[in-house]
Amino acid sequence: MAAQLTKGQRDEIKKQALDDFSRYVNPQKARVLKNAGLDIIEGKREGAAVWDITGKKYIDCITSAGSFNVGRRNPEIIDALKKALDEYDLGVFLLCSKPKADLAKRLAEITPGDLQYVMYGSGGGEANDFAIKLARGYTMKNDVISTLKAYHGHTGFSLAAIGRDEYRKPFGSMVPGYKHVPYNNLAAMEEAVTEDTAAIIIELVQGEGGIHLATDDYVKGLRKLCDDHEVLLIFDEIQTGFGRTGKMFCCDYSGVVPDILTIAKSLGGALYPISATVYREELGDFVMTHAFTHLSTFGGSDIGCMVGLAVIDFIVKNKLPEHAAKMGERFQKGFDELLTRYPELLMEVRRKGLMMGLQYTNDSIGPRMSYQLAQNGVMAIYTGNEPSVMRLMPSLVIQEDEVDFVVDALDKSMSEIMKQGGIEKY
Amino acid sequence: MATGDEIWEALADFTEQCNNNKRLRKMQRDWTKILHFKAIDMDDSFTMKVVEGEIVKNDKGTVGTPDIIVETDSETMCDMFWGDINPTQKYLRGEIKVKGTQEDVMRIDVITAVIWPEV
Amino acid sequence: MSIIDDILSKTDMDEIRKETEENYRQYVNPFALRMFKNASLDIIEGKREGASVWDISGQKYIDCVTGAGIFNVGRHNKEIVEGLKKALDTYDMGGWISIVRERGILAKKLAEITPGDLKYSLFCCGGGEAIEVAVKLARGHTDKTEIICMENGYHGVTGFALPATGRDVYKQPFAPLTPGYRHVRYNDIGAVEEAITEETAAVLLEPIQGEGGIIPADDAYLRQLRELCTKNEILLVFDEVQTGFGRTGKMFCAEHSGVNPDIMVLAKSLSGGLYPLSCAVFTEEIAEFLMTHPFIIINSFGGTSLACLVALATIEYIENNDLPGHATRMGGRFMAGLSALKGKYPKLVLDVRGRGLMLGMEFPEDSIGPRMAYQLKQNGVISIYTFNNPRIIRIMPTLVITEQEVDFVLEAFDRSLAEISKQEEKNAAR
Ligand SMILES: Cc1ncc(COP(=O)(O)O)c(C=O)c1O
Ligand SMILES: Cc1ncc(COP(=O)(O)O)c(C=O)c1O
Repeated sequence: MAAQLTKGQRDEIKKQALDDFSRYVNPQKARVLKNAGLDIIEGKREGAAVWDITGKKYIDCITSAGSFNVGRRNPEIIDALKKALDEYDLGVFLLCSKPKADLAKRLAEITPGDLQYVMYGSGGGEANDFAIKLARGYTMKNDVISTLKAYHGHTGFSLAAIGRDEYRKPFGSMVPGYKHVPYNNLAAMEEAVTEDTAAIIIELVQGEGGIHLATDDYVKGLRKLCDDHEVLLIFDEIQTGFGRTGKMFCCDYSGVVPDILTIAKSLGGALYPISATVYREELGDFVMTHAFTHLSTFGGSDIGCMVGLAVIDFIVKNKLPEHAAKMGERFQKGFDELLTRYPELLMEVRRKGLMMGLQYTNDSIGPRMSYQLAQNGVMAIYTGNEPSVMRLMPSLVIQEDEVDFVVDALDKSMSEIMKQGGIEKY
Repeated sequence: MATGDEIWEALADFTEQCNNNKRLRKMQRDWTKILHFKAIDMDDSFTMKVVEGEIVKNDKGTVGTPDIIVETDSETMCDMFWGDINPTQKYLRGEIKVKGTQEDVMRIDVITAVIWPEV
Repeated sequence: MSIIDDILSKTDMDEIRKETEENYRQYVNPFALRMFKNASLDIIEGKREGASVWDISGQKYIDCVTGAGIFNVGRHNKEIVEGLKKALDTYDMGGWISIVRERGILAKKLAEITPGDLKYSLFCCGGGEAIEVAVKLARGHTDKTEIICMENGYHGVTGFALPATGRDVYKQPFAPLTPGYRHVRYNDIGAVEEAITEETAAVLLEPIQGEGGIIPADDAYLRQLRELCTKNEILLVFDEVQTGFGRTGKMFCAEHSGVNPDIMVLAKSLSGGLYPLSCAVFTEEIAEFLMTHPFIIINSFGGTSLACLVALATIEYIENNDLPGHATRMGGRFMAGLSALKGKYPKLVLDVRGRGLMLGMEFPEDSIGPRMAYQLKQNGVISIYTFNNPRIIRIMPTLVITEQEVDFVLEAFDRSLAEISKQEEKNAAR
């Protein structure tokens, strides 16, 4: 598209797009992004990269927080979607269909342990809402425990589980029965569990919370705690799933199997919304006695399921988890150097596979780094619940030279900020 | 045509099956209902009281205010209690009449599905 | 293996069906499958085109469910499919946080076609999700928390939408829910007046209740609601998830009464039956809340580049082919036929009603809805009862249905009603 246009035309398109967005979507959002140097109007998209409509290339380290694991405009997934479009439309959510059945089987195969049944949705929040509803319905208990700084989505049951008040404050009363405890602190969790606890919901790496990694001991402790008190354990692998952390699912590291697993984002192959709540066979009994009490018009559409199947095939065939682990290590070498070179800026790096967080020394550095990185051809932003942490989550098809390019851009950006100064804590 | 005694016996069998099925009891533990069964080819009716998934009492005749009324001929009623038929199929073909919510109709089908999955 | 274009032998089809059912049983929901089989709704959709869908075995049906109004432009609409395929040569989802150009263009289009001064759009995937946005905007904008909604309404199943849904079976197992929702009788202005308090943020309703049993709001009622809301500084929210995009004979159902809501929620047919997309459209005044909180409502998949392009193609198709006009004409033909059936089967058919191609037939008791669905299927029509009221069978075909197809459906209704009459007589005789 962009290729046949003159520079003048492209600039005009960009101006019009910013204008439409400001006028009909959200002017302030447009302004914030412009200030951060992220007023990019995406034109061409391919693999780990995206081009602004004006032609400038960026390595995408945002990837909608892990939605593009298979790369942007992955030709194999596009082919699968086109092929699906030859035959299918959304289908009818009420009916049984072949793509729905096929993907469900595939998900049961690749998810750990005895996770068996699937409830489909379109968004991640929707999947978590169902997970929590299922836990309440099945246990006939009310309380849900989540962790501080956690992010689980903006739909009601998930929003209440988020570990940050700012997302909730203006909206008044929330779903009751939620407790938030510090992450990676088993004692706090033990203390919070009561007779009325239905579920614990947790991310194995907190994404929006600032890339915090759960320790294996913590995760194993949670499993035991849940077993001892008949509490259901929900893993939200919406960001960590599908190879992101170097394994197909992050829980494969500890070997702990949850009762409910939620997935979304990359299941849609950067092309098509689909999410799923996968749960153990026993929990199916609740769904049986409450058939059709949870419905999603667009959830598990025939097309979405075909895309999901293609995504899983691609990830398995190309061993993306292994590749993510390898590229992650290459990144780490670069980070280690940056850590010694810029101790005033960079405090710590937390990483699992290609789920990477740079902990800066203070809040203002995140936004400033976004701006500098954009100048240097990298799209990256700070995490939603922790502005002092910059998240780097490139697509898993990133290549060595692209890794080096990002590290180099980080180096240049940090050096520029050191020159500018103003990094002392206030 | 079955006799009232046969239905009563079938109902007792059914009750035992339900109450002894641990999985079913757990699944139905949020279900507390009064059901009336009417055999339309004779003048017999029966009442089943379910409390938290357990059938706590059966009565001859109609007792209490029903949440669900099931009407069919005596033969079909026995078959239903013995698991010889799929009651929902009969219901959709108009051979069993059920007054009550669709959710309760589905709950009755759940019982059959758990006890006699092959039917 | 292509299910549709290749001509497969009967055994292949049986194989596919067997495998699909087995997978569904083992990995999706064994009980749902059983229900489908009992109700004879164990259709596995193969080819889809226009107003019809074919089971993979080759049996053709007129689709009168259309996912409760997803397929206004017809099943697998070729033009829109081609549009989406072409879009795939350039686009993907686009970044969640980016300024997505297509999102701006669609939002502009929506501002043009929605009534009154609705202007800004916030995009999501599902209808329920967009309802959540509407509730949050209302609370955030007014600093009040109470939402007045309707008995038997249906608005979705996620946290802020579920409490608005006016029926206990959806809610009771998952309680306690978000507080602050009050339910009042539909079409009863006095009931709303009584429910209003200092804390009321919004009144939320469907201009025609879909799952509640195809119940249209009176025009006068909606006008009174508008006045009442304006007077009390309460936001009026229309859920046009089912009624939007030509379904009722106008682009939006609100146009019949001329009442402009402050927030309108759209989903289902917005994206041509091909791609998940929903949105809340609201006034400039309400948008101010989002100026001060630009990133407070976020989602990964709402309003992707592809979704917006599909929606633009869908709206263009609806406009170019005057689907609202066509819905009015076909709706009239249906209504004439259904009324005649009411005359012919007075004991079975209590009422026929609706607007455009959002129609319902009411029976005297609950069991007849499911039984009708069963009979209609035998006669080549897929329809189901409305979720909150099984006494009503819904007739919501695609808006590209032809006269012949309308007549076919009417004939199927006639045959099905005749069969049920026979069953009832037989029962009465026993
Ligand atoms: C861990 C986690 N859970 C849930 C969600 C919500 O998913 P969605 O935005 O698709 O509703 C997100 C989104 O960023 C997430 O990161
Ligand atoms: C009127 C109405 N509102 C909201 C919804 C919820 O939409 P979704 O299933 O896409 O969440 C529906 C779905 O049927 C609906 O009919």
